[in-house]
Amino acid sequence: MADLVFVLLSILTVVSALIVAGNSSVIYSAVGLLFTFMGVAGLYVLASADFLAATQMLVYVGGILVLILFAVFLSNRISDAKLSNPTHMRVPSAIVCIALFGLMSNAAVTTEWAVKTNVEYAPTTAVLGRLLMTKYLLPFEVVSVLLLAALIGAALLSRPESAKAALKPDMEEGQ
Amino acid sequence: MSLDKFLVVSAALFCCGLYTIMTRRNGVALLMGVELILNAANINFVAFSHYLGKVMGGQIFAVFVIVIAAAEAAVALSIFLRLFATAGSVEVDTADSLKN
Amino acid sequence: MIAIPFDSSQVMQGIASIAPEAILVCTAITVLMADLFLAEDGKWLLCWLSLAGVLAALGEVYLLGSSRIVGFSGMITSDGFGMFFSTVVLSACALVLLMATGWSERAGTQKGEFYSLILMSTTGMLIMAKGTDLMTIFLGLETLSIPIYVLVGFQRSRMTAIEGALKYFLLGAFGAAFMLYGMALIYAATGTTKIPVLVYMSVGGGMAGSSLFLAGMGLLLVGFAFKVSLFPFHMWTPDAYEGAPTLVTAFMSAAVKAAAFAALVRVAMLLFPGVSPAIGPVLWVLAVLTMTVGNISALGQNNVKRILAYSSIAHAGYIMVGLVAGDLLGSQAALFYLLVYAFMNIGAFGVLMLISQKEDDGYDIHNLRGIGFKYPVLGALLTLFLVSLAGIPPTGGFIGKFYLFSAAVKNGYIWLAILGVLNSAASIYYYLRIVVYMYFMTPEGEVVTPHTPPFGYALALCACAAVVLVLGMIPGAVLTMAEQSVLSLLM
Repeated sequence: MADLVFVLLSILTVVSALIVAGNSSVIYSAVGLLFTFMGVAGLYVLASADFLAATQMLVYVGGILVLILFAVFLSNRISDAKLSNPTHMRVPSAIVCIALFGLMSNAAVTTEWAVKTNVEYAPTTAVLGRLLMTKYLLPFEVVSVLLLAALIGAALLSRPESAKAALKPDMEEGQ
Repeated sequence: MSLDKFLVVSAALFCCGLYTIMTRRNGVALLMGVELILNAANINFVAFSHYLGKVMGGQIFAVFVIVIAAAEAAVALSIFLRLFATAGSVEVDTADSLKN
Repeated sequence: MIAIPFDSSQVMQGIASIAPEAILVCTAITVLMADLFLAEDGKWLLCWLSLAGVLAALGEVYLLGSSRIVGFSGMITSDGFGMFFSTVVLSACALVLLMATGWSERAGTQKGEFYSLILMSTTGMLIMAKGTDLMTIFLGLETLSIPIYVLVGFQRSRMTAIEGALKYFLLGAFGAAFMLYGMALIYAATGTTKIPVLVYMSVGGGMAGSSLFLAGMGLLLVGFAFKVSLFPFHMWTPDAYEGAPTLVTAFMSAAVKAAAFAALVRVAMLLFPGVSPAIGPVLWVLAVLTMTVGNISALGQNNVKRILAYSSIAHAGYIMVGLVAGDLLGSQAALFYLLVYAFMNIGAFGVLMLISQKEDDGYDIHNLRGIGFKYPVLGALLTLFLVSLAGIPPTGGFIGKFYLFSAAVKNGYIWLAILGVLNSAASIYYYLRIVVYMYFMTPEGEVVTPHTPPFGYALALCACAAVVLVLGMIPGAVLTMAEQSVLSLLM
């Protein structure tokens, strides 16, 4: 049963990733990305990462994807029927990527993994929370600085133009 | 369902992301390619954390990657909006007033 | 409910290991808050406040000294190596802030956000330079990059600024994604992200047979290559350098490069020996191509900012020579060169910023006509920095290059050294071209009137010039310091 679910989720993930990579419309790519994210969340559940699966749904599907859709709609005139997304150098890129995929999956399949004998499924949230407060406290703090910086930066760049008046004229006519 | 199958899925996602990056010129599409690669890396981290009996390091790493992806997407959106307001497009090629 | 164990001595040790970073973050938040309460004509205070924070952090780095403090269960280590790079990054930051005093109002960067982003980026650099876990290095890299993406696009009404930000962001995001996938593969092959454990596992070629580990190392190298702008991942450099406000360009070229090389040297010195036969030739080719492409592209440029951008690519190639050599002398030379490079590059950008009247067109090489004799001090300073960049004695740049190439020769990379010297000779052409424009070209019409530098600005330029000259004549102390820090890494 779990194997069947795994196969279905993998197919969902990879096919929608192919849509992201190959479709000529940005909108279709964005929708493909939605299903990729959901498929990946399902894979997390199968790998006993329940907290991560929830986070993936909340942050990726609920947050990042919405941001990307905003970017798609705001940066293309919606009246344009076709949101074009031209591609370049398709054939050489495809050859490189397929070759790389072959190499990587070959390495994955042939390597002798020291897999645990009893793979267990247990809730992870409490463990993750404790680790974030002890062993991984520093990365946790660093990420908070990073988020603050991203917040300031995004607000700074997208604020309306009126602040421009503060610039001295000699630098303002840079362009 | 075993470790190597997870890795094959992750490799497939990585290659889709790479293909997107190599072929697209639209900034938003390029960002999608980056997100695919980040997800591929996360699958790796989670699968190893699960199968190899190590402590939860992989899952923790994946949590941080999701946070960073969100931060990058926010900054990206603000850059795209600014670029669209100035140039009317997010195609990387139209942003070519910078000569080589 | 299990109580979280609390060990006060470990907590104190952890706080000690990140004390400079903590000071920087506190300053960044203070600046942000103070910005709200200051009137428009009181904003100059913010710059001095940030500068005070950076100097306090620098003082703290020296208080901690080169003793080894492992904090946060091995996530970060404050040692001699960290101290060296903290010094480079913090001095670069201090110089840029010193220039910003009295100058920001002109460039439109007198905002609290500007300074706090610079401080947070510096925090990320310190963390990256001191990180002893791949996780810390990755988070440090992102913490330094995200503020820089925004700073490049800071003058957002300029098209070039926002384009530079876009290109830098996209390529930076690719680099980070590749590096992350590499880390995932290394985690796959070894089950850990801690560098000391990785060293233990890979020593004596223990991991050389694992294709996953090799692929992971390769992707990690690609990620670093994006950040230090090695060929073929250098395309963002000229655009980002040209688009950014020149203050930020100076900061990026010196500090980001130093921080990224710090992590690269740590990984390369500790892990590459375990995989050396596979990775040595790759580094060799990367070094040669990076210098050559950088120098050749610089030859045809007319915008001084772009010339210096391509020259910074070439310099990344020179520094790689030290890493290819792979021994103590090579890394020592690379560290020394990064220090000198920070001072001479910030100095050069500083002088150019005074001469140019505005961004973009203001940096055309024709604007330099006739500056040399009319404004002898500026001309002499710029000449000094360019001569040092070209690697001509008696400057720090010459000593740095001398040690880099002799490390290559000593380890049997004769051809690498020859190619390096040839490249260096080619680069003299475009550096001296700038000097020729300053002294020997008659201006069309009026000679541009440079701005009079405010006090802090002049002080920063003098400091750069002094360091470049002193390191050119008595490099001994700093070379010893670089040696000590590489040794502390190998311990």
